[in-house]
Amino acid sequence: MATTALPGHNYLQDDASTVGAWFKSWFLTVDHKRIALLYLLSINVFFLLGGLAATVIRVELITPQGDLLSADLYNRAFTLHGIIMVFFFLIPGTPAVLGNFLVPLMIGARDMAFPRLNLFSWYLYMAGGLFALTAAIFGGVDTGWTFYTPFSSTYANSNVILTIAGAFIMGFSSIATGVNFIVTIHTMRAPGMTWFRLPLFIWSSYATSLIIVLATPVVGITLLLVAIERIWGVGIFDPALGGDPLLFQHLFWFYSHPAVYIMILPGFGVISELIAAFSRKRVFGYEFIAFSSMAIALLGFLVWGHHMFVSGQSVYAGLVFSFLTMLVAIPSAIKIFNWTATLYKGSISYRTPMLYALGFMGLFVIGGLTGIFLGIVAIDIHVTDTYFVVAHFHYVMVGGAIMAYLGGIHYWWPKMTGRMYSEVWGGISALIIFVGFNMTFFPQFVVGYLGMPRRYHVYPEEFQVLHVLSSAGATILAIGFIIPIIYLTLSLWTGKEAGNNPWDATGLEWQVSSPPPTHNFLEIPVVTTEAYAYAPDAAEQDAANWRPGSPL
Amino acid sequence: MTHKEHEHAHAHIGPATYYKIFAALMVLMFLTVGAWWVETVVEIPRALGVFIALVIASTKTVLIVLFFMHIKVSSRVVQLYAIAALFGLLFLFVITMGDYIARGWPPQLGPLP
Repeated sequence: MATTALPGHNYLQDDASTVGAWFKSWFLTVDHKRIALLYLLSINVFFLLGGLAATVIRVELITPQGDLLSADLYNRAFTLHGIIMVFFFLIPGTPAVLGNFLVPLMIGARDMAFPRLNLFSWYLYMAGGLFALTAAIFGGVDTGWTFYTPFSSTYANSNVILTIAGAFIMGFSSIATGVNFIVTIHTMRAPGMTWFRLPLFIWSSYATSLIIVLATPVVGITLLLVAIERIWGVGIFDPALGGDPLLFQHLFWFYSHPAVYIMILPGFGVISELIAAFSRKRVFGYEFIAFSSMAIALLGFLVWGHHMFVSGQSVYAGLVFSFLTMLVAIPSAIKIFNWTATLYKGSISYRTPMLYALGFMGLFVIGGLTGIFLGIVAIDIHVTDTYFVVAHFHYVMVGGAIMAYLGGIHYWWPKMTGRMYSEVWGGISALIIFVGFNMTFFPQFVVGYLGMPRRYHVYPEEFQVLHVLSSAGATILAIGFIIPIIYLTLSLWTGKEAGNNPWDATGLEWQVSSPPPTHNFLEIPVVTTEAYAYAPDAAEQDAANWRPGSPL
Repeated sequence: MTHKEHEHAHAHIGPATYYKIFAALMVLMFLTVGAWWVETVVEIPRALGVFIALVIASTKTVLIVLFFMHIKVSSRVVQLYAIAALFGLLFLFVITMGDYIARGWPPQLGPLP
């Protein structure tokens, strides 16, 4: 591994002589890498706040009685957890942090197509977050993150409008990022960087942006209609006013189901990068993985009604949605099988990012397969609104999206900061997160199947064992999330210099210095090879060069 | 990008066209109000009224998208995205209406309000 001194001119360096100039150099920056770091910090703060709300929920659920929170306060706590985690962490998470940092670097461009729009999207994100947090400070909101009508539009006495305004503004931040990715990928690829030479992270970012641009306006309008009904009493969703509550659910899930793919598709892209780099092989079935991302983006628009099987939706519509939901399993399975085939006869090294990638594969399979259970109308009716559903989507969101996010952060951290972190602590925390996660959410499948409804803070005593197990797991999970914050922060001062390419990976981002120069490439590179062009005998060479004491 | 496409992407719409489109939109606005007024005076089937209103509104949308949003003179990719958005809307409307039509309203409730 080549190690060099941190390069003299990189994007982290400041020529600012005053505090004001320093603030300006960060808060008015149009450098995609700096904007990615602004997002990294702010999104992680929101993640911690959402985690705090989760902690309150899990502490309450240790006992069958409602002894910590009142029913009303409990409603506000799980709503806060849902809104922060969905709108302010999972949706922007991987695209805004890793996407912003990597898209130009990976395609050989000097910045995004619209650098100012990129900065504006961060300000919109912060403004949306400010609205949501203000709503939380002044009493919160008790509708659940789904804002179901007519409760949200007519009956709720909490801060619905403020929270909706926050989600609405955040939606525009998403759209700005999506438009920027699409235009950048279309117009700013380096010479020779053809579509089928693009890293798979770019394909997944493109598919994600497609969903963002096409679906987000729908939820924006829907939330606006809720506000209009709530403020002026115009009958849109409330049956008492002549509206239809199911119309809200159709419009809301038309966005919010594809939004699930906004959360997980960039994660798929990250996993493709990690599996290739740590197996020393080209991803098996590159084209299939690329097109499966596009297929998921398309099919994701056709399945929203599986959130409405018991809502009063027509049973015929339910059957069609159930059938279409099965189709999503095909491109998802293509990815999992192809990653597994990539591992086959690869030279696998168990570095920290790879531990997250392997954890992702296992957990996402459980999350995805239980999604197929839930896509079947008969099973869904049995477990609707139980902890089985809660466990399912946490396996996809935490076990999938967050594992991929953390894997990506660990993989590109040396590129972002120029420093390596402690591999020992990295491995330990990845294992703690894996164990803590399963201990938290696996019991929820069981307790849900036995009949424990979601969003209740009082429950029969027979469920207590499983709830205590879950809360204990959440404690372990929380420790697992806090450890990386500590060792990653420490690495900024004490970490070894990473060098340009600490993982011996392919890809244009590894050809520039770590941290990269302000304008990424001194000369625009000319691409002549396919993505993941590892030597055919890379695995054999790795095995021959391994010595006791080398990283596994 | 070829030379021809490059020129295509930078083609622009002159002020005269904008004024014509603006005038057409104003005429369509009066048509909307007029159609509403006619419906209050003359007895026409409700479905026909909705159809006429939708035709006028769609025409306005097409004019705005093609000229004010420059889709007519944009590159193929931008045009493709505009069409993709229309398909998204089509999915939303067709599938949602599929649910409404197949829901089987109890006959005693009568037709939809």
